[in-house]
Parts: sequence; C-alpha cells; structure tokens
Amino acid sequence: MKTGRDVVIGALLGADEFGFATAPLVVEGCIMMRKCHLNTCPVGVATQDPVLRKKFQGKPEHVVNYFFFVAEEVREIMAQLGIRTFDELVGRTDLLDTRAGLEHWKAHGLDFTNIFYQPPTDEPRYQALEQDHGLEAALDHQLIERSKPAIEKGEKVSFITPVRNRNRSVGAMLSGEIARRHGEAGLADDSIHIQFNGSAGQSFGAFLVHGVTFDLVGEGNDYVGKGLAGGRIIVRSPNDFRGFGPEHIIVGNTVLYGATMGEAYLSGVAGERFAVRNSGAATVIEGTGDHGCEYMTGGTVVVLGGTGRNFAAGMSGGVAYVFDPERKFKDNCNLTMVDLEPVLTTAEQKEKVGMQTWHSMLRGDERETDEAILKRLVENHFRYTGSFRARDILSNWPASRGMFVKVMPKEYRRALAELWESANTASKAA
Amino acid sequence: MGKVTGFLELKRLKEASQAPEIRIKHWHEFVDRLPDEEASKQGARCMDCGIPFCNTGCPVNNIIPDWNDLVYRNEWRQALDVLHSTNNFPEFTGRICPAPCEAACTLNINNDPVGIKSIEHAIIDKGWDEGWVVPQPPSQRTGKKVAVVGSGPAGLAAAQQLARAGHEVTVFEKQDRIGGLLRYGIPDFKMEKHLIDQRVVQMQAEGVTFCPSTFVGSADDPAAKGLTVKSPAD
Repeated sequence: MKTGRDVVIGALLGADEFGFATAPLVVEGCIMMRKCHLNTCPVGVATQDPVLRKKFQGKPEHVVNYFFFVAEEVREIMAQLGIRTFDELVGRTDLLDTRAGLEHWKAHGLDFTNIFYQPPTDEPRYQALEQDHGLEAALDHQLIERSKPAIEKGEKVSFITPVRNRNRSVGAMLSGEIARRHGEAGLADDSIHIQFNGSAGQSFGAFLVHGVTFDLVGEGNDYVGKGLAGGRIIVRSPNDFRGFGPEHIIVGNTVLYGATMGEAYLSGVAGERFAVRNSGAATVIEGTGDHGCEYMTGGTVVVLGGTGRNFAAGMSGGVAYVFDPERKFKDNCNLTMVDLEPVLTTAEQKEKVGMQTWHSMLRGDERETDEAILKRLVENHFRYTGSFRARDILSNWPASRGMFVKVMPKEYRRALAELWESANTASKAA
Repeated sequence: MGKVTGFLELKRLKEASQAPEIRIKHWHEFVDRLPDEEASKQGARCMDCGIPFCNTGCPVNNIIPDWNDLVYRNEWRQALDVLHSTNNFPEFTGRICPAPCEAACTLNINNDPVGIKSIEHAIIDKGWDEGWVVPQPPSQRTGKKVAVVGSGPAGLAAAQQLARAGHEVTVFEKQDRIGGLLRYGIPDFKMEKHLIDQRVVQMQAEGVTFCPSTFVGSADDPAAKGLTVKSPAD
C-alpha cells in the first residue's frame, strides 16, 4: 500500500480498512537500508543507539502530509469513477479494469472469478455491523463494582464469586481500573482478595496488578496470568478433589506469558510453554509440559514435579528450581544457554559463592540465597494451596533440598556480576 | 559488507595533495593515492546499504559496496576484478570522475560520504603497480570487423569490449594521438598521459588496431557515409 490508487483498488476488491507500513516509514526518513537488525540504522529509525537516534529527522507532520496526499488521490479517482462516498466504492469489482491483467500471458490458466465475484445481496457491501465483543457482560464489571471500597478508599475487600470458562481475561479490566487510578504500584498487598469457584476461561488474571489476589478454586485455561503485573494468582483444586497435584493438569498452555511482576501458585501441572518470556514474576508449579521457561529473562520458577522436554530453551535470565528426585531432569533440559547446579544450603552458599551472582526472587528485590528463596516459595505454595507435594517436601526439607536442581542461565550469571560490580563501584564513588 | 559500525567510528579521509607552492612548479599530478591501510579503513565506512544508491548514482553502475568490502578485507586482487567488471578504465574515472556515487551515497544524507573515488583510485593504481592489469585477448575470433570512430573514453571502452568478444576492431582517430578528450581536454595535473598510453598498449595486445590521424567523414557530411574510406583493416 503506497498510493491512493492502491487504496481504491483495495476498496473495489472489498476492503474497508487499510494498513500502511513501508511508505509512512520512508516518509519519516527510512531509506530501506535493511539494517534494522544490526542496530546501525544510519537515519535513526530502527536503532537504540543514542548517537544514531539523534539523526532521526522525521516529524509527525510528514506522515500527516503523506496521508493527505493519499486521500487526495483517492478522491480524484473516486471523482473519475463518479463515486460520492467511500462506502459506495467497497466491493465494486465491476469498476476494475481487469483486461490488461487477465489477458497477460502469465495469467493464463488462472481463475480469478472468485476474487471479482459480487455476491447478489440487498445488504450493503461495506462494513455495516460493528463486531460485538460482549464486553458489557464481562465479569469484570461486577468485580470492579464490588471492589470499589478498595479502589477508592483503600479498604480491604474480600468476596467469593463463581466463574465459568466463557469469562475470559477475568481481572484485566479490574487491573486497568486500578492502574488508571493508582499507577503501576497498584494497591497495598492483598487489598482485593477474590475467590473464584469453577473453571475459568482463557487469560484468567491477565495483567493482574499489585494488591489483587485471585484465588481460583477449580482450574484455569490457557494463558493464566498472561502479562502478570504484580498481582497474586492461586489456582487450587476443590477440597473434595481426591487427586495428587503432580499428576493432574490444573492450567493450560503458555501460562504466565510475558509476566513482569507478581506471584502465581498453581497446585497442579501446566501445559506447554510454561512461563514463556517471564521477565520478573515468581511462581510455583507442580509439573510442566514441553518448552518450560522458554525465552525467560527474569523472575523465579519452582517446579515441584516433572517437566516436558526442551526446558529452558533460549532462557537468558531468572532462575528455575526443579524438584528432581529421580535425576531425570537433565535429559529434558535444553543446555544451550543454561547450567545446572545443585541447590546449596544457605551456609554453603555464603561460604562458597560470591554474592555477586546471587539471585533475587522478584526483579529488583534484595539478593538472597537459593535456599531462602526456594523454601519461602514452597512454604507460600503450601500455605496458599495446601499442596500435598509441598507438604511432603517441607516435612523433610534437608533431604528434599538436595533433590532440587537449579537452572542458571549463563548470560544471567554474567549480568548479575556486572550489575553487582557497577552498583558497588557507584556506591564506593559516592 | 565493510565494518558494521565502521561509519560510526571512522572519519572520511581525503587524498593528500601537494602544497600549492610545490605543485605550481610542475605540470604533474599532485594528488597522492591513499596508502593501503587508509583505503581499507575508508572501505570499512561503507554500510552495505539494502538499496545501494551509489550503484545507480554511478553512470557505469560500478558495484561499489562489493569492492569497498573487498578493500576493507584486503582482497585487492578481487576488488580489482569487480571494479573492472563494470569499468574498463578505473584509472581515468578514479582521477577525474565527478563522483556522483559519493553524492548518492547513503552516508551523504547526514554524514560525510564514503570516499569511493579515492578507493577506486587506490585499487587500480595498486593493480598497475602489482602487474595485475594484463591484456585479455579473446580465446576465439569471430572473424567480424568493427570500426570505432573516435578514440575518446567511450570509443576506447567499446573497442576493448568488442576486441575481448573476439571481433577485429579498428579505432579511427582524427588527431595524431589516441585518447580524445582524455588526451586533449584534461590537463596533465589532473591525469597524466602515460595512463592512456599503457591502456593503448594493453588494447593492442588484445587485438585492437589504432589509426590516428585518420579523419572519417567531413565537416558537412560527418561519420556514417564516410566509413567506406579505405583503411588498413580492409
């Protein structure tokens, strides 16, 4: 899409909306260097280098001006065609001059009838109906209403509500409302505590902010805690459920996708790509499918059960602790970017390992020993979910600690040491 | 592709020229070509653009990013081959071309352009010094004859290409020396004339016959009809 002519042809073929990509970029100064991936864009369009970014000459007015030209050309062509409004243009394939294209030798043998087909209808051919997302019926409206004392006055709110799998992205609008008023910091811890009973729909607890606890008694779907932003999510089985955590699925695929902060305690097994792109949240799970912790860059993951294959692929940050009594984990881990280490006791770690490579549970937290972080997370897990596996592990902690494997990304170790170094030189200088 | 960050780290360097008080004492060229390592650094400034505007800015479409890269990597012999693939006489253009490539260079938008002309100059002069510029006679003759009227740079380039393709080429020149504008239009201090002579020797070895002092056509009736004139090529 570059010119008004392109727009008109698109409309004649039935388009209502148009996306422009390259042309507006060029208007802003892109010279199509094809160096976007090298951070050396010489006109400052696709680079983070401050020296090169200074060279960026684009202005919003340039883009506005470009689209004025496009619109003007569209009007000119519409005038030539005798069309008054854009809506009348949409789907009028009869106005296209197709001869030159169809008679071209390369087009021989190709059937274009379906592309130029005009459905016989009295209805308008342009987009006349808005898509109804059913947002008015979203569960979040009730949640926001019932959480008002907490959002407006900082009071503690706690209630129980049923949830069904047609309730998608539960908590996203609530989080938006809190973020609008209180910013990224959210509310005081556990200001809003909601217990959900039932089977939640996709993206349960998406973008949940700090100060909100979602306690789901039942099961989650895919994308539980997507983009988790500081809140706490607990998923546990009902009390009358007789199964054993590490043996049943409790949440679906891509749980905690891109989470940045917060905690999640999931008393059961997750599907594939658990905690993919997690950059700062802490979580406990009792087993994962394939590709766990893929592309993870920060945060803490504790797995109290088996994992699928290709664990830690592309993992560059954060730490995973995997409970591995049968010593099988190594075969399932992608060792390209990570090292496997034992979890030392606090005393051992203080003695043997320099503090510069110690991990912190949440991003920006104080550095702690692995044992302290791991034990606290498992204890929390037991407290919130009543997990049998967590109880068993804690009942004989010295032995169970030895059965954990620490997954440590090589890049993360280097970054931790560098951060420590720069923080210390800065404090010394001060 | 040059050095990825070369244009950020290295500055454009002009070729050194003699001080005016020295150069007014003689008629020779007064611009010195870049030393090899400097030329290599200048080549490193090339960004290997996705759309190399230099390539189309150049009237003969020199494959500039390629030989910039080769010079950066010190592969001079290959750089010379790439340069010769589009340009018969880089020693002429490397000296007297107005370098529209540098005007077209992407770096010229908000920086100093790559010193393309100075790199070209360095490649071809090194090529002559090292003896890499040798006659390339055709392996087979076509038996066809071609007359080229005028021995300016265009005539010479056409003659060389035709001779290398196996034709029997004769170049007619009305003046008594070969070179046209190169010889009579461009002063020595810009380009010395032995450069033309060494090309003529190369082309003779490739099978080109030169006929200076031969006027084809007349002032009223130039070129075409006059070509029936008797020549040694007949």
